Amino acid sequence: METATRQIVAFGGGGFSMESGNPLLDEYVLGLCRRERPRVCFLPSASGDADHYVVRFYRAFPAEVCEASHISLFRREQGPADLREHLLGQDLIYVGGGSVVSLLGVWRAHGIDAILREAWESGVVLCGLSAGSLCWFSEAVSGFHGAPRRVEGLGLLPFSNCVHYDPGSTHGIAYHGLLRAGMRSGYAARDGAALHFVGSELHRVVASRPAARGYRLDAVEGKVVEMQLATTYLADPPPTVTALPGSTATAVAA
Amino acid sequence: MVSRILTLGGHDFSSRPPDRAVSELMLRLATERAAGRPKICILPTASGDPSDQIGRFYAAFGERPCEPSDLSLFRLGRRPMALRDHLLEQDLIYVGGGSLLNLLAVWDAHELGAILSLAWRQGIVLAGQSAGAMCWFEAGITKSSGKPEAGAGLGLLAGSLCVHYNNEPERRAAYLEAVGNGMPDGYGLDDYAGLLWEGIGPPTAVTARRGARAYKVTSSETGVVESPLPARFLPAPAPAALREDIAEFRRIKSMRKRAGWLG
Repeated sequence: METATRQIVAFGGGGFSMESGNPLLDEYVLGLCRRERPRVCFLPSASGDADHYVVRFYRAFPAEVCEASHISLFRREQGPADLREHLLGQDLIYVGGGSVVSLLGVWRAHGIDAILREAWESGVVLCGLSAGSLCWFSEAVSGFHGAPRRVEGLGLLPFSNCVHYDPGSTHGIAYHGLLRAGMRSGYAARDGAALHFVGSELHRVVASRPAARGYRLDAVEGKVVEMQLATTYLADPPPTVTALPGSTATAVAA
Repeated sequence: MVSRILTLGGHDFSSRPPDRAVSELMLRLATERAAGRPKICILPTASGDPSDQIGRFYAAFGERPCEPSDLSLFRLGRRPMALRDHLLEQDLIYVGGGSLLNLLAVWDAHELGAILSLAWRQGIVLAGQSAGAMCWFEAGITKSSGKPEAGAGLGLLAGSLCVHYNNEPERRAAYLEAVGNGMPDGYGLDDYAGLLWEGIGPPTAVTARRGARAYKVTSSETGVVESPLPARFLPAPAPAALREDIAEFRRIKSMRKRAGWLG
C-alpha cells in the first residue's frame, strides 16, 4: 500500500491574508496538490470566523482555480454536517491567522484536532499563516497579545515555531529566551517566508519576497544558535538545469 | 454585595421597546452596584466577536449614563487588554449569544471561567442571552454542532436552562427529552423573558414583551412538567431621541420660569 506524503507549509506571514496582490505563497501550496482543480478548505477559526476574512479567501481562491469551501465552527447549522468527511476529502486545508489560543480551544471542542492529524496522515496538504502556522508544531511562541508566551500546539511537527520573525526584535528576543528556558529547538519564519515540511523534516524554505528568510534555532549549552536557512524566492526563474552530458552549455557556478 | 445574574431567553440591542426595556434593566442593575458611572462590558466570544454585535451593544449603551466596553478575545492582537483587571473592574459583564460549545472552549483556553466566577462572588452583575445565559448554568441545550443537543455550562447556577423557548420547538423538544433522561431540572425562557438571580434564593421572572414567559421545567414520575412563572413586566424607557426632546423641553421650561414667562 502506498504511504501518503505528509506535508505542511507553515507561513511566517503572507498569502492572501497579508500580501494582497502577491499570490506566490498561495500558488505554491496549490501547486503541491495533485488534482488539477484542487479542493481547498479554509478554516478561519482563529479569527472567530470573521466574515470579511471568508470573503477574501473566496476571492483569492476562485472557482476557475479550485473547488473552495470553508468551515465556520461558530455557525455549524450552515456548511458541511460531517466535518471529518469534508476535511478528509480535501487536497489542501488552509488555516487563517488570529489567536492561536482561541483556535486550539475551538478545534478541541469540535474534535478538529484529531481530524487534522488524520487528514495530514492521509496526504491532505496542511498550510496556514501566523496562528495557522503555529498550530502544527509541538510548541509555539504566541505573541498575539501581551508578552510572548509558550503555547502547546497540535504537535504534528516536533519542533517549536515562531512567526512574523525578525531577529533582534522584542518578539525574536522573547523566542531566544524561551529556548534558553527549555523550549525545544525549532524554526522561525519572517513575513513572506514559508517552511515546507515533508513528514517531520524540513524540505525547503520558500518566499514571496526576495529578502524573506526562514531560520533554524537551537539552544546549545544555554546559548541560542540561530542559523539562516537557504530560501527560494518564488518569483525567481527556476535554477539553470545542469548541463547534460555532451551538451555545449556551461553550468554557471553560483 | 449580593451575587446577581440576569439570564435572558433572547433579545437584541435594538431601539424597539422590549429591547430598550432589557437594556434599561441591565443599566439599572449596573448602576445599583456602581459607586459612580457604571462600567458595562460585553463578551461577544460566543459569536467569534463579530463587529455587528459589538456595534449594536455600543449603540444601546453609548448614549446612556455608563461606560461601555467590549472584551474581544479574537481581537486582542490589535487591541491588547489585561483580561482579569478589565473584567474585575466592571459593574456588569454581559455575554452575547452564539455557540455555547465555542464560548466555553475559548474561555477555557484563556482561563476566563475562574475570573468570571470570582467576578460573580465579588458582586459584579453577570448577564447574557441565549448561549450567554445558558453558560452560567450546569447545562443547556445548544445548537453549536448544528442540531439541538445537551451542552455543559460553567455551573455557577444550579440546574439547566433552555432558551428561545417559544421560537424554536425543536430546541424545546430536545430539552424536555433531556430533562426526562436525567439532565438536572431547570427553566425554559421565551425570547424577552428572563430570570434575575439574587443571592441563593429562587429567581425572579421578568418579561419585556407581553406574552413572553418563563417556565420552571421539572422531571416527575408522570413526565416532565412545565409550569409558567409569574413575571414582573419591564416597561420600556423613552427612546433616546425622545429623551433628548424631553430634556430640551425641561430646559426651555425652566428658562421661561426664570424669566417669569410661565408664572
